[in-house]
Formats: sequence, structure tokens, C-alpha cells
Amino acid sequence: MTTYRLQVNGKQHAVDTDPDTPLLYVLRNDLELNGAKFGCGLGQCGSCTVLVDGKAAMSCLIPVSSVGARAVRTVEGLGSVDKPGVLQQAFIDEQAAQCGYCIAGMIMQAAALLERTPRPSEAQIRAHMAPNLCRCGTHMRILRAVRRAADVLARQPAGARP
Amino acid sequence: MDQARRRRRIRWWLLAVVIVLACVAVAIMWRPAIAPVSAVPSFDQTRIERGANLARLGMCASCHTPDLARPFAGGKPMQTPFGTVHSTNITPDPQTGIGRWSLEAFSRSMRKGVSRDGHLLYPAFPYNHYARMKQDDIDDLYAYFMTRPAIAAPARDNDMTFPFGFRPLVGFWNLLYLDHAPWKADPRQSAEWNRGAYLADAVAHCAACHTPRTVLGGPDLKRSLDGGEADDWYAPALNARSPSPLPWTREQLQAYLRSGIAADHAVAAGPMQDVVVLLSQADQRDVAALATWAHSHLAQAPARVTPAQQDGPLPAPHADDPDLQRMRSGYALYANTCARCHDAGRAPGSGAALPLQKAVALYDPDPRSLIHIVDDGILPPDGEPGRWMPGYKTILGDEQAGALAAYLRKYGAGQPAWPELDAAVRKARAP
Repeated sequence: MTTYRLQVNGKQHAVDTDPDTPLLYVLRNDLELNGAKFGCGLGQCGSCTVLVDGKAAMSCLIPVSSVGARAVRTVEGLGSVDKPGVLQQAFIDEQAAQCGYCIAGMIMQAAALLERTPRPSEAQIRAHMAPNLCRCGTHMRILRAVRRAADVLARQPAGARP
Repeated sequence: MDQARRRRRIRWWLLAVVIVLACVAVAIMWRPAIAPVSAVPSFDQTRIERGANLARLGMCASCHTPDLARPFAGGKPMQTPFGTVHSTNITPDPQTGIGRWSLEAFSRSMRKGVSRDGHLLYPAFPYNHYARMKQDDIDDLYAYFMTRPAIAAPARDNDMTFPFGFRPLVGFWNLLYLDHAPWKADPRQSAEWNRGAYLADAVAHCAACHTPRTVLGGPDLKRSLDGGEADDWYAPALNARSPSPLPWTREQLQAYLRSGIAADHAVAAGPMQDVVVLLSQADQRDVAALATWAHSHLAQAPARVTPAQQDGPLPAPHADDPDLQRMRSGYALYANTCARCHDAGRAPGSGAALPLQKAVALYDPDPRSLIHIVDDGILPPDGEPGRWMPGYKTILGDEQAGALAAYLRKYGAGQPAWPELDAAVRKARAP
């Protein structure tokens, strides 16, 4: 057991665990941030996607020891039930979730895109979202939600967060 | 008196030499324009279909179609040691494409690397291969491209380092590397082998990536198919120097060229992925011929004993390893990340990932391809089914990626360490 200091959603946490524990387990079991989901555990499905240093990463593949000082952000960091973030609201408005298992990962994958590319083209959205799978088949709604969030952000002052 | 006359004579001689040299230089560097045509003739449907097949075998789209929504409209930047060259629009748009090119102008560009208006094309366009194409095949390609939808897309400016922005210099490259001799069949080989050899050389231009280049950017013909590079990936040797740890069969090669997947060998990634997508759409008899040709070269590789002949997980580092700390770190990364699919997780969900001791990238003479695969993963081509591996660039730091590659090289492939590994990791990750 080693103590790891993690910065998650702007807060510092200290976690005692083994170096090879996946970040996903730490987020869910130790920090009780249950937004990111365990899907395949093999980096194939994307339901565990979080942001590490602003880039989308599959947290089931990241040994906690390799996170270091890099800031981690999860879907809980975007907003709350009462005050959903722009992307969360867009996913609600488009009713993009069916079973909902993939959605936290989808939203974080989209957040990584919109923070770097606020006005993405259709091709950019599709290429960027390609790693994340949805078994219910709501891809068209998910794509609409990402486009909607991009449109909302475009009307807000520069620097608005998805 | 005598001296003055001698001086005058020398001056005349100098002038004559300068004039002769100027004429030679012009002959090397200058080419005339070919008159534009206003109307394109109609083409026979079978000719267009044959042209479509040749365009796939010739990988035209891999450079000329960077955007699938705009086929053949060009604009892909290509980094070369001499600057960045952009592919051009080869749709029949009259203003920005080849809509006003006669068959003669098209043939000259394919064989001699000269644009219709007379300017010399950069050899990023592999005309030194197309020069050996049969005229009938060039006619078919012309029919195919002249019947594509015209797209207006002006050529993007190239960004060449001095003095290579001066295109006529390519004339000297052509003196060295442009061989006008027609392609010759080898009568000792089968018809299928000869078809494959012709396609590989004059159409698919395999050697453009798989043969190393000289400092002048020309093919190093003394080291034909010894392994080259493409987009900073190592393009493996296709002859006796093949790094593959297991011998290839002809059937595996054919499956690889058609689908990008060869059981127990490789999954196409990087620039080779474009190649297999286009080959999957080509006439499969031609792909089989290419496999026959390539196999005849790969079969020269001597049989070797490699870890690839064993199954099972990769071993932990030996306790007396001189680089034990790094190897342990690499092993931990292998066990916690790679092994979930490449060993333990070889269940349906893993997509039948290759056991890493069989992965050819571990046996390459340099680590570039392995680093690209670890960093960026393997994504199926746009709109195509295929193997998926997640990228680890955001997950592993430089030191971790280096440790993993060093461990895989030693305990996966049993090969001597790559001396330039750390520099290669940093270079691949440079912004």
C-alpha cells in the first residue's frame, strides 16, 4: 500500500492503495465518484472515460501510480442535478441516454473535444467520439447533444465551460 | 600582343562553356506546357472500371483523398526532409483540378512528373514508379479520374526549405532516379508472380516506403526492400532482412493485404492501414498476385529461433538484470495494462490481440512503430470494421513509455536494446 495524492475535480485527495490499482477503482470505490462506469475493463468501450490533464483517457487502464500531479476531472465536475453543465443539459434536452451506462464517458469524451475545439465540424465530432461505444444505439442523439452543446457554448462568453 | 589574343580566346571559350552549360541546364530543368483541352471525350465503362481498380492498387486516394467527403480533391500535407508538400486536386475540375488535361498531359505527368503547364512535380508523387506503367493502364486511370465528380479545391502552397522551393531543381533528381525503361517480366516466374511484381513496382509502389532513401530522397536501389519509412513509422524490410519473428505464409500475406489482419503476425497500423483499406476494395486476384510476389521475397528470410514460437505471458525481469528498476517498471506496466488483452484477456472482448512476443514492432530495427502504436493505439479506418487498441499517450509518461518499450524489446522479443529509445519517445511525443 502506498499513499497517492490525487487532484480530482479541483479537490485534493489522499488514497492508500496499490500502485497498479486502476484510477477507475479509486474514483468509484475510494472517492465515491460513481459517474465513470466499469464497462469492459479493457479500454475497449469508453464508459470509464475521464479527463486527465484535459485529455480524455480511459480510467480503467490508468494505474493510479501513473496519474501523478495531473488534474483528473469526472462527470461530477461538470455540474450537479440542480445545476447541470452545458453538456449535461444538452444530453438531457436531446434525451441522449437510453440505459445511460455509457453516457458519463460520452460526456467526458465530448468535454475533451469542446474544450479544445469549441466549434467542431461534424467530421471532427464523429472522429473524436469514435472510441466510445453505446450498446443501445443512441449514437444519433448523442451526436445531436454534442452539436447542441457546441451551439450553446458558441453563444456564451469565451472561456465558458462545457 | 600574343597575351591579349590568348586572353580573348579564353574569354570566348568560357562564354561557349557557359552557353553550353546553360543549354544543358535548361534541357534538364525546363519542360513545355501541353495545350489545355476544352472537352473531355467519353469513355468506355469497362475502361473506367479497370481504372478504378488501378487507382485502388496505386493507392491514389491515400494521398489525394485526405477528406473522404471530397474524393481526390487533394490537400494532404506530407512532411519530407525537403519541406512540406501538399497533394493536389486530381478531380476533373477545369480550374483547380485536371479537367483541362489531355491524355498526353496526364501520361506525361505519370511517366515524367511534369504538370500540364510544364512545371516539375515533386517526387512525393511516385512518378518514378508510375513511369513503368503500361500505357493501356494509364489510359484506364485517365478514364477513371476524368469521370469522377469535379470538386473545386485549389492547390495548397507547399512549404519547402531553401532551395527546394525552386521546382526546376527536381530535373536533376530525375536525372539520378527517373528510369524510363519499360517494365520487364521475368520469364522464369509464373504469370501470377509477374502480375504481382508489375503491380508492386509500377502501380502500388511498395518500394516507395519499404526501400530506404538516399540523402537526396531517391530510392537506395542497392538496398531494395531493405526497409524504409513512412510518416515516421518504420516500414519493415520485405526481403531476407524481414524483422518478422515467424515466417510468413502466402495465405497470411494475402489475408493481411486484404483485411489488415494476419493471424499470429500483425495488424496493419499507421500508413499501412490506408494501403489495406484500398486493397480490400481492389480486384482480389490482383491482391493475391501481390501476395505471391511479396511472399517470394519474404521467403528469403532465414529461419530463426525467436520467443514468438512460444505462447503464454511475458516473463518477469531476471533478478540480475543490470537495468532491473526500469525493467520492473516496464513489466508492471505490461502486466497491468497490455497483458489484460494481449495475454490474460484473450477472451472474445479482447479482439484476439496478438501475444506480444509475436508482434513484429518489437523486432523492428528502431522503436518508432512500437511507440506510435503504444501512444496512439490502433483505430479501425474511417467507416471500416477492424481491430481496436486504445492509445496510451495520455496515460503513460515519457519515462513509463520508454520503460515499457525497453522491457518489451528485451523480454518480449529477446532482442538487444534500442540505443535511441528515449530520444525516439520524446521525438514521437513532441508537440
